[in-house]
Amino acid sequence: MKSSDFNRISPYIYEIPKEFRPDMRVPARFYADRQLMEAALGDKCLDQLVNTATLPGVVKYALAMPDIHQGYGFPIGGVVATALPDGVISPGGVGYDINCGVRLLATHLHHEEAAPWLGDLASAIQVNCPSGVGRGGSIKLSQKELDKLVEEGGQWALKKGYATEMDLARTEENGRLEGADASKVSERAKKRGRDQIGTLGAGNHFIEIDIVDEIFDETAASRMGLFPGQIVIQIHCGSRGFGHQICTDYVRRFQQVIHKYGITLPDRELVCAPLSSPEGQDYLAAMKAAANFAFVNRQVLTHHIRRSFEQVLAGKVKNHHVYQVYDIAHNMAKIEEHEIDGRKMRLCVHRKGATRAFGPGSDVLPPEYRDIGQPVLVPGSMGTASWVLVGTEGSMAQSFGSTCHGAGRTMSRRRAKKTVHGSELRQQLESEGIHVRAGSMAGLAEEAPIAYKDVDRVIEVVHGAGIARKVARLVPVGVIKG
Amino acid sequence: MAKFEVLDHTADWALRVNGRNLAELLEQAALGMSSLLVPDLTAVSPTTTRHIHLDAFDAETLLVDWLTELAYLAETEQLVFNQFQLTNVTPTHLDATIRGGRVPELQKHIKAVTYHDLQIIHTDNGLEATIVFDV
Repeated sequence: MKSSDFNRISPYIYEIPKEFRPDMRVPARFYADRQLMEAALGDKCLDQLVNTATLPGVVKYALAMPDIHQGYGFPIGGVVATALPDGVISPGGVGYDINCGVRLLATHLHHEEAAPWLGDLASAIQVNCPSGVGRGGSIKLSQKELDKLVEEGGQWALKKGYATEMDLARTEENGRLEGADASKVSERAKKRGRDQIGTLGAGNHFIEIDIVDEIFDETAASRMGLFPGQIVIQIHCGSRGFGHQICTDYVRRFQQVIHKYGITLPDRELVCAPLSSPEGQDYLAAMKAAANFAFVNRQVLTHHIRRSFEQVLAGKVKNHHVYQVYDIAHNMAKIEEHEIDGRKMRLCVHRKGATRAFGPGSDVLPPEYRDIGQPVLVPGSMGTASWVLVGTEGSMAQSFGSTCHGAGRTMSRRRAKKTVHGSELRQQLESEGIHVRAGSMAGLAEEAPIAYKDVDRVIEVVHGAGIARKVARLVPVGVIKG
Repeated sequence: MAKFEVLDHTADWALRVNGRNLAELLEQAALGMSSLLVPDLTAVSPTTTRHIHLDAFDAETLLVDWLTELAYLAETEQLVFNQFQLTNVTPTHLDATIRGGRVPELQKHIKAVTYHDLQIIHTDNGLEATIVFDV
């Protein structure tokens, strides 16, 4: 792919025409400024975007957000909607970490009040929230209980005392996707997931303590309870081995049946089946189970973070209460209604490294957020800023109610590890006043900020293009990683 | 001599593997993936033996299933293997006896073995495949 293969159709949108490749069913578009466009040419992500434009039933255009980078199958940052009933669903298009997402928690604490305890808080969170490869948590579930958990999602957490009503009301889908079916999930997935509830995992997952650095939208910020100097917490993780195995199982099963539906694809990882098919329906029910697992996982981590605040701050500050701002998924396929060329259509919207960003007025939002739009949580790379945005009329009109999900990588993990030493990076972050608690120095190096794009630039693009609006910028003071 | 090579990939890890035949390709892929899991694969003492029998519907799926099996043992039992004896290998079947041991820590978590651009191709020296892992 080269820059002459696409057209700049607005200051922040580039379009690869349908004629670029004969197997494209629709054009492909990506959001970027010139610098991010050039970054996108640095790997195969735009070819992957074009591949998604070949999926049967794809509607309007295949999209990518400005944090686009190379993934497997779909590019990371991809948004593809297919029309029901016969449009396809692609397990690889959702990805292995089903309902990987971000939760934002807020406190009543000003940074100055919390400053003496931040190191202790980071340590307590590290102890209470197990992380690292294959590390189990404190909750061991019987198979029957796990089945209930994945079918009930947030409601299970509420019954068990891990959640409040407000937590669930401020979670995408109230923390429960209807139609999850544990009988569509393999024994192996259940075995992998049984002791992983309330664990962070490894890779790019983290818990971060942040300060609200700047407010850009007073009304939206105050509705979310955000104020300058405030201590807030982000959780970034997903459905752990449970979700990974469900994706593995269904990518394999779909390989066997793709010919039955007469589908040919440029990449086997894009394997898909009509949503109306038995395979499509089974995957959807299993994917929902994984999504519920992830909602509960972030909920139980929230519970552990509340315990950590209690342990460290009780009696030392006036109010150590931790409350939820919002929780969003950024790897998911959702059945949604959108207006396409003046016509309401039911679509299966795949977001692979992209966030739902519903605009004001959506009735799926809790009443307090209905007039400001859905909160969107965009973590930056480690040690750099993160953002709180809201969805807009623009995201509904342009991008199937979707926007970006992060900074987006530019450098391979291998190169990052060669360029940066974990221990030096840790020292550098500590010298910037960030408390770092990391299980693996090599893992830390792979996630070095140098390996990522500038998140502020990504935000300028989505804000400028009108597919989200800035509310608040956060800066880190504590990072907890596997 | 190692017949695998770790390739650059923006978000994940990729491995190019060669073998004179399918059995050697599968063995080299297993060694390559296992070498990502620990700093020094030769330091793993072979205290555990497992037997694996797999059926698949094509050679690429057999390769994915084989590596998925090893990634599963790593995640659930912290087991890393460095000796692989493959028998009865066809594009749709393998039997294997594998030896390795429990490690105190895995340096990498392989979430999944993907089919991304996966194709076993014939070269002058045998077979080649590039495998992308989700990490």
